[in-house]
Amino acid sequence: MKGHQIQSKIISMEVEVLNAVQQRTLDQFTEGPSIKESRLFFLLLPFFDGKNWSAEIESSAKTVSIVYAALHAHDKIKEDVPIIKEQQLTVLAGDLYSGIYYQMLVNSKNIAMVQQLASAIIQVSEKKTSFFEEAIRPLDEIEEAIIIIETELLLSYYRFYGFSEYTLLAEQTLLYLRYAEELEYLQSKHYTNFLRELNSNLAHEIYTEHWLLEKLDSLHGQILVSIADCSLDYELAQFLLHQITPHQHRAEQLTREG
Amino acid sequence: MEKMKLKLLYSDLKPELEMIEKELEQAVDSKSLLLNDASLHLLQAGGKRIRPVFVLLAGKFGDYNIDVMKRVAVPLELIHMASLVHDDVIDDSEIRRGRPTVKAQWNNSVAMYTGDFILARALERITEIESPRIHEILSKTLIEVCRGEIIQIQDKYKLDQNLRDYFRRIKRKTALLISSSCELGALVSGTDEKTAAHLRRFGYFIGMSFQIIDDILDFTSTDEELGKPAGSDFIQGNITLPILCARKDPEIYATLKANLNKDLSNEERLMIVRTIRNSSAIDEAKAMSERYLEKALRELSFLPKGQAVKTMRKIAFFIGKRNF
Repeated sequence: MKGHQIQSKIISMEVEVLNAVQQRTLDQFTEGPSIKESRLFFLLLPFFDGKNWSAEIESSAKTVSIVYAALHAHDKIKEDVPIIKEQQLTVLAGDLYSGIYYQMLVNSKNIAMVQQLASAIIQVSEKKTSFFEEAIRPLDEIEEAIIIIETELLLSYYRFYGFSEYTLLAEQTLLYLRYAEELEYLQSKHYTNFLRELNSNLAHEIYTEHWLLEKLDSLHGQILVSIADCSLDYELAQFLLHQITPHQHRAEQLTREG
Repeated sequence: MEKMKLKLLYSDLKPELEMIEKELEQAVDSKSLLLNDASLHLLQAGGKRIRPVFVLLAGKFGDYNIDVMKRVAVPLELIHMASLVHDDVIDDSEIRRGRPTVKAQWNNSVAMYTGDFILARALERITEIESPRIHEILSKTLIEVCRGEIIQIQDKYKLDQNLRDYFRRIKRKTALLISSSCELGALVSGTDEKTAAHLRRFGYFIGMSFQIIDDILDFTSTDEELGKPAGSDFIQGNITLPILCARKDPEIYATLKANLNKDLSNEERLMIVRTIRNSSAIDEAKAMSERYLEKALRELSFLPKGQAVKTMRKIAFFIGKRNF
């Protein structure tokens, strides 16, 4: 499959997801659903890679994307007092998307997938809340929390349809992207809950930056190995490296400079 | 006190409700200590458990098996709890049922994740039931409830909205989940379609009456009785039935208009509460609640006589007269 075909399938999936969750008031007052290209790529990866594909799987892939959007909407709720209209509607956007994912799976008679995703949401919520616990925890626990937050929904879909061979590659790439995003936040002095915990754990933000750069460097190497292990064809591997993880060159450069 | 009276009405369901309560505690059990605390905090604040009660009562018209009934009763209460914890973020509420809300005790983010967690637990549990019909009804209800809330935010501070907007809103906000509780209770116990439809309509009418009374109580109760400041609806810009009835008086209309969407002092808030309380609006709103109650009772008249109908009738009368 050529790069432009991959891109076009991702865009068409994105449009379908947007259509499924469209609501006039929400469209007017909120940022709209967060549908990341990288997640869509991994949801569609078995299709791109020539695996057995069906309307049911494609519909499930869409719902996973909607669940990501639902949970992400709730990540955007700030602590401002008093809460403004946009924030109020963002809370409801998340709730509405949850109702929509449930209804879509019910309509396709896929109750087992509802259960699978509900279990994944429970784990993700537990890990998101862990950033508000007062107890100090080791770095590997922080990292484990981020892995679950970023990948559990996708991995539960892989497990459900027997696509587990992509688990490692997806985990490494989504983690890579999250760390690249966190690095940008750090450099712009925008401290997320993850960065705050990392800073207090590593004592100084310069160490946090080093930690992130090392992680990016190591994940980069791992992604290349996993691409080879999955035997992705040339076009697919190129698309992944250049469209999904374009930060790589920057990370390498930063590592060299650092 | 009043909550005690209500619980006495369904004392014949006591053992089952105790079982539901334990199941609710188990359902919110989490590996995360914080989520556990937040969910239990919400659960222990209590509540009328109206939804599980209606599930169980509706089940009495079919092949009643508590092990089956609880699979619907527990998720419905969880769904209600999840919506409350998110509502408190939306309304910026500090107090619910006399206790700090999850968002006040912790923060908005913890409240959001607690709601997501509880809703997911509800779905995880209810998917143990394979009947597509159950899920069609519930998923549609969830979406409609959200749409109702979105409309409520859209309609905030609009003093000139019509009564139809209000009724459409409370239908989605409250009546639908109670209606679905009755219908799902009936369906899961295997009642015939006709009985399930009467129960669904009963739940709908009771839900409408219940919400109207809730909106009246926001003006007629004290802060202590409500567990939050009286007149909160007006402060938050929610235009409820007492306000819609009261605005017909030009003087009251002007007062309401002048104080809407304003940072009110305590005296100003109490003045608004007194104005509504002393107007004819309360009686008018009560009459509308009464009409829904009559419709609910009429639905009961089509059902086979027995203890379940008796209890439902008692609850209906109580809801119409409750003062908490």
